[in-house]
Amino acid sequence: MEKTVNQKKKVSFNELWQKYGTFGILVLLLVILGAIKPESLFIADSVPQILNQSSVNILLALGEFFAILIAGIDLSVGSVAALVGVIVAKMMVAGVSPLAAIFMGIVIGAFIGFLNGALVNSTGLHPFIITLGTQAIFRGITLVLSNARSVFGFPASFTVGISSSVLGIPVSVFIALLMAVILGFFTIKTRAGRNIYALGGNSEAAWFSGINVKLHTLIVFIISGLCAGLAGIVLLGRVGAAEPGAATGFETYAIAASIIGGTSFFGGKGKIFGVVMGGLIIGVINYGMTVMVVPSSYQQIVMGALIIGSVALDRFVASKK
Amino acid sequence: MKTLVEMKNVTKKFPGVTALQNISFDIKAGEVHVLLGENGAGKSTLMKILSGVYQPTEGSIILNGKEYDRLTPKDSYENGISIIYQELSVINELSIEENLFVGKLPMAKMAGFPIVNRKLMHQTALELCKKVGLHRDPKTFVEEISISEKQQVEIAKALCANAEVIIMDEPTASLTKEEIDHLFHIIAQLKSEGKGIVYISHKMDEIKQIGDRVTVLKDGTYVGTRNVADVSIDELVTMMVGREIKATYRHEDRTDYSKEPVIFEVRDIARKDQRVKGVSFQLHRGEILGFAGLVGSGRSEMMNAIFGAEPKSAGQVFMNGKEIFINNPYQAIQHGLAMVTENRRETGFINTMDIKKNISLLPYVKTSGMGGLSGLVNEKQDRKWAEEQHENLRIKCAGVDQSILELSGGNQQKVILGKWLAADSQVIIFDEPTKGIDIGSKSEIYVLMRKLADEGRGVLMVSSELPELLAVCDRIAVFREGKIAMIFTSDECTEEKIIRASTGAN
Repeated sequence: MEKTVNQKKKVSFNELWQKYGTFGILVLLLVILGAIKPESLFIADSVPQILNQSSVNILLALGEFFAILIAGIDLSVGSVAALVGVIVAKMMVAGVSPLAAIFMGIVIGAFIGFLNGALVNSTGLHPFIITLGTQAIFRGITLVLSNARSVFGFPASFTVGISSSVLGIPVSVFIALLMAVILGFFTIKTRAGRNIYALGGNSEAAWFSGINVKLHTLIVFIISGLCAGLAGIVLLGRVGAAEPGAATGFETYAIAASIIGGTSFFGGKGKIFGVVMGGLIIGVINYGMTVMVVPSSYQQIVMGALIIGSVALDRFVASKK
Repeated sequence: MKTLVEMKNVTKKFPGVTALQNISFDIKAGEVHVLLGENGAGKSTLMKILSGVYQPTEGSIILNGKEYDRLTPKDSYENGISIIYQELSVINELSIEENLFVGKLPMAKMAGFPIVNRKLMHQTALELCKKVGLHRDPKTFVEEISISEKQQVEIAKALCANAEVIIMDEPTASLTKEEIDHLFHIIAQLKSEGKGIVYISHKMDEIKQIGDRVTVLKDGTYVGTRNVADVSIDELVTMMVGREIKATYRHEDRTDYSKEPVIFEVRDIARKDQRVKGVSFQLHRGEILGFAGLVGSGRSEMMNAIFGAEPKSAGQVFMNGKEIFINNPYQAIQHGLAMVTENRRETGFINTMDIKKNISLLPYVKTSGMGGLSGLVNEKQDRKWAEEQHENLRIKCAGVDQSILELSGGNQQKVILGKWLAADSQVIIFDEPTKGIDIGSKSEIYVLMRKLADEGRGVLMVSSELPELLAVCDRIAVFREGKIAMIFTSDECTEEKIIRASTGAN
């Protein structure tokens, strides 16, 4: 009896840490930042700025989360964001209305994700290999479409719309938040979402339980592509021009945000809430370094170290208590 | 003849189980000593003690005149003992010669630095390959060669380690007739060189063909040692069987179910890979149909094909007289089929999920369209289904929110059964349902199976444990090489008859 009681206590602490651990790290980072440079944090627009900077990362991370959840990965999200950005920009330059272009961009993102998933299914290769390849392919297509030049000259209403704020919160943040809510619902409340967790935990057992493994793999990559497309559109609105080299290396942040947020690399475990926290942690680190005027070359080093540090801290605390 | 190894009064206890009880076993130079016994008789445990994997609880082992209480893998290796497991342990990514010298590469010096002596390695490998009749360039990568050739590499590896005693665990399980002849030829040659061979096998004809002495184990106890020339196959079969069957599992009032309607039927099912070659059977309402046979005889392969988890090349499946078409597990589930698989961890449960989610997975999949895709989940519903099965199957757990990994094997099995019952499955296939489960949980599972059959559900049971089949099943189909060799009713059936039918010792 005693043993069971002890075990129960242990489990509940772990659960507590799993639920709020990343939030704790986020708060810790904010406290550190506030202590070092209080003026940076206690100004009116610090929070909207952090959120705004994080929105692209969060969108990419939301899609990446699903790829990691099935014990896979999607290395192509940065390239997909750039490709969709260029396509949407070109469409608007050609006279397509911004709303139609945005809609088309989302559909194209989803379709690109579909291609990734179909390749994974048909070849049976690990998503790492497939998306390592498609990452280069999509980036190449982006360069071809844009002639390796920035695409601009589209209606100002698009840029203004995406970078405007409602009630002090930027539109881009609303988009990221809306996606997080939809996908959170999808993971917690739908059978397809539950099946994806099952397939990530044990794809063989999932198959024997009647789950169509290939179909769900396809859905996972469609979601990843769709989120990457949305991220590309938001980035386009924020920058004001479609850069063919945009979002290069952003897959690293997306992966980091998922892992910091508690997603297991072995599949089957993770939560959307954690991913959003992970994205915000990376946003805070970025913001902190910018306000502390860390030279950009050093920012990379610090970012890498902090990613390892925060995940290590999370696992360390979880294993200790 | 010189005695190479002598194991004296070896006992091995695991927590709660005595795997070996006072076993003595010796190996002489230049003989093939066959170790015979059913699954779970203790053959592998005994050999693992000899190779230093397990330490005996009591008893001793004499190697080269020296007495040991226990062996380490190093002791065993240095005294010339090599074991060739059924699952070969060659490394596919290395060449034949590299495999032979794994862990003991011959070294040379170049400019004062040690480097691998490739030349010596190649020379030695050439000789060894010749010796075991392996006609391959030693530089060939192992992944390119056949299973029987891999086995030859294993034998060459043993010789390379100067083995005096070579243990072969069911070496012919996956070989063709010609390959077996070739293997026997090599064994005869090793014998003539004074090596001692321990040969573990179920196949009676092989024992007669190459064995010199045979030792029979049963339930971890020693039955006897005979000269193969002086013993008949009948005697050996008798020595192997006769285990007492626990009366508690026995289905007391056996009924004749042949008058009952056929609820499930399979006709001429076959697989492209030839592991199942045209099998038909009928299952009557209320009966439990068992499937016996050697490991690899095609039972699980047939069940996976019926269930749609692996492709079939031919065959029809009928449920209550109506033909059903199954190409994947989802379709099987729609028709009310269930499959409790052999390997709980690999194919049975989702280790990242708690008990309730493991159970609710199935009813959700079954009741949603689009291949299990559509619809919502609801935590309350999860809990309701899980609680029902928790009570129904008496799953021992702290609560349905507990991780399935924290449960005992028997309770994990109950959770798996629970998910199929939550989906109201009508025909349930049990593949080795009590593998790795303690005795108490075993009998609970037997009782549950009988209860399911009494409720009118179809129960099919694949098992390699004969007493369990005899105790639980009403009829037993014996598989041999992808076909049903014989179907017995439980009244006429004995372990002996099953062993005869499955080994072809007629």
